[in-house]
Amino acid sequence: MSMVKARTHIIHDQNICTACGICELMCSLYHEDLYSPSLSRSQIVRQPFTADHEYYVCQQCESPKCYEACPLKDAAICIDSATGIVYINGEECTGCGECVNACPFDPPRININVKSDVAFKCDLCRGREDGPICIEYCPFQAIKLESKDER
Amino acid sequence: MKKTYGWAGNVLHVDLTNGKVEKIPTSDYKPEEFIGGVGLNAKIFWELGCPEVGAYDPDNPLIISAGPLTGIYGPFGRAEVGSISPQCYPDELYTYSGFGGMFPAEMKYAGYDSIFVTGKAEKPVFLSIVDDEVKVKDANELWGMDTFDTQQKLMTDEPGSSNLVIGPAGENLSRIAVILNETECAAGQGGFGAVMGSKNLKAISAKGTGRINIADPNSFMDLIKLIVEENKKSKTAVNFRAPLFATPEIQNGFQDRYYKKQYGCYGCPQQCHSIHEVKDIGRGGLSCANGFYWFFSDKPEDIWEANILSQKLGINTFETALFFPHLLMASYVRGILKSNKVRDDLGLPVPRWLGGTDSNHEFLTVLLGKIANGEKPYSEGTARFIEYYKDKLEFGRELMAVYKELSTVNGYHVHYINNLGGELHKAVDTRDPYNSCHDYLNQDTENPHIHNEAMDHFGLPTFEQSQTVDMNKTDYQRVDNTTAWVQDNQSLKNSLPVCEWFSTPKNFHNSPQMDLRVFESRMLSVVTGLDIDTSSLAETGERITNLLRAIMVKRENRTRESDTLNEPYFKKAVTMNMVQTGPIDKDKFEQLKDRFYQLRGWDVRTGQPTRAKLEELGLNDVADELTKVGRLR
Repeated sequence: MSMVKARTHIIHDQNICTACGICELMCSLYHEDLYSPSLSRSQIVRQPFTADHEYYVCQQCESPKCYEACPLKDAAICIDSATGIVYINGEECTGCGECVNACPFDPPRININVKSDVAFKCDLCRGREDGPICIEYCPFQAIKLESKDER
Repeated sequence: MKKTYGWAGNVLHVDLTNGKVEKIPTSDYKPEEFIGGVGLNAKIFWELGCPEVGAYDPDNPLIISAGPLTGIYGPFGRAEVGSISPQCYPDELYTYSGFGGMFPAEMKYAGYDSIFVTGKAEKPVFLSIVDDEVKVKDANELWGMDTFDTQQKLMTDEPGSSNLVIGPAGENLSRIAVILNETECAAGQGGFGAVMGSKNLKAISAKGTGRINIADPNSFMDLIKLIVEENKKSKTAVNFRAPLFATPEIQNGFQDRYYKKQYGCYGCPQQCHSIHEVKDIGRGGLSCANGFYWFFSDKPEDIWEANILSQKLGINTFETALFFPHLLMASYVRGILKSNKVRDDLGLPVPRWLGGTDSNHEFLTVLLGKIANGEKPYSEGTARFIEYYKDKLEFGRELMAVYKELSTVNGYHVHYINNLGGELHKAVDTRDPYNSCHDYLNQDTENPHIHNEAMDHFGLPTFEQSQTVDMNKTDYQRVDNTTAWVQDNQSLKNSLPVCEWFSTPKNFHNSPQMDLRVFESRMLSVVTGLDIDTSSLAETGERITNLLRAIMVKRENRTRESDTLNEPYFKKAVTMNMVQTGPIDKDKFEQLKDRFYQLRGWDVRTGQPTRAKLEELGLNDVADELTKVGRLR
């Protein structure tokens, strides 16, 4: 795997996923240097009795409503000109929550880190040499990248 | 509050008698000396004064501790229960039982390394934990519900929570009731479900949005890479699938029809459990102990119902799938138990393996029903069931003799311990010590090379000479080293914690960086930021073992005489689980105990820790207390 270059997002195979949570754990370790599933950019909801675990992650919309809603557009929420990845710049974000409200998905794929008052969401580990860390460490290959063009 | 690494930082104490909730800094319990899990449980129990009460007394604390590694990446997502056990027989002893699933990690994210509950609620309650907010809530609606429904209700009411619950068996004080998380993650041995039941505590619900800090994230990444590599290479990666232990033909047929998915503890790459769903019967999980149900059936669907019924009712399958049927079968085969007596005297259906015509399904559902309803003597567990009939039936004493061949002196069914090291360990423990002692299992008689390979690891700190354990049960030399090593390793594994399946030497051993202790001490160092090397970690294992021993000595007046095996082991070769054990030479066994106590730094005459040893391990307060109660000579 290599650094994400084209417009893609992460897809999840519910038939394979065991909800081991390693995606959440590696995500919070990579982005926050600690372990906290609630700070993970992707969210797993364990369903121990049906085994149909739910998975939520940013879909990298082509016309991102979060970006449009951001009062500090191009400073707090930006679009990477080379890859098209929509990402949050934690330095500029004020945690106003407009992006969370604008997200068309339920549950929203952007959340606010209440401790630092900054929004966070999946940016496909933008800039990471080996691509998204969750995909690299998933023991079952239950998540992978899908290009927008393939859809 | 001071930033903590690895540990969540708080111990939660709830007194159900007065509803008081108290948060105590974990640092008050010296976690750097006792780590977590069984070690922290023992420390908390010791600080509570090792109450000399019965298992159902409100003063019996129910202690649940995770460890500094719980809730991070890797095979660490476990916690341990410590409490006075209703299952131990004849006396109720302080003992331990571990479990995995989601709850252990969730309690850490909520901010707690340990939760301990004392007292007794007036009416059914459950403990609701959402981060800082801890409440004792009414559980009237939940009482009587099975473990799956209870969890589903609690998850609906508090989305994102993980729940530790009891079923009807726990409510009705069955001594073989489990505490369950999710489908099959249970603190099984010990009967701790009934301790919860005796406190009117139906469930502990936890939801955490907090964090676990890692002292050195970069070095930690290197260790994760090692785990990933080892997991790929693992020769004995475990994945339990139904029907476990059945013929391949039956197994494949069942898998094709009903296998749904792998499952396991949060954060672990191995995911060794599995979920199956059988139409019209139901969905549930499978790990190891419940797999024994398939030993006596060729109709997997029938057994599946018994399996999920055990989970839903909250019953220890090591008793109902193994000990109890094993005992009846052995007695029947030897002509002690006649077919007609099974129904007439014992009040149970008579399956084919007891010479009858009833189905396994009927036998198991009737048995499980009686246990769940608290119907004595069935609900009392195998040991007390036999005790009940001992003088009531003309063959009662013979049943008792068979029971003794299958059990430890403390009332537990033995595991596959097939060497003297395991027998000695069994003699000095409070239950079947296989909670985390598959280390002995590596003495594979058919594959001695695996045995040797694995045993090389026992050359690591402190017990250099414990390279070999004799498989022919004739060489009593060096066994003392091995047992002491495994005991301390067990103390460590159950305190960090590290999963047993992932960390048996056979599984996790590529030298040098993955050697036991080497890996564990590096892991603990980078997570907690403490400087822990192999020898200080080994000493910590020894400290925990000694504290556990001190609890036995103080509370239960444990002596050399109580460190023994049931008589049959000294009289004849006992064959169980296809493994032959004994006869053990009693004199040589006593000499082995001499050497073991000497090695441990314990008094050879009493088998009790000495002041010198306790002080060497920094347990001066423990030595003082034992002196005060006249148990340190």
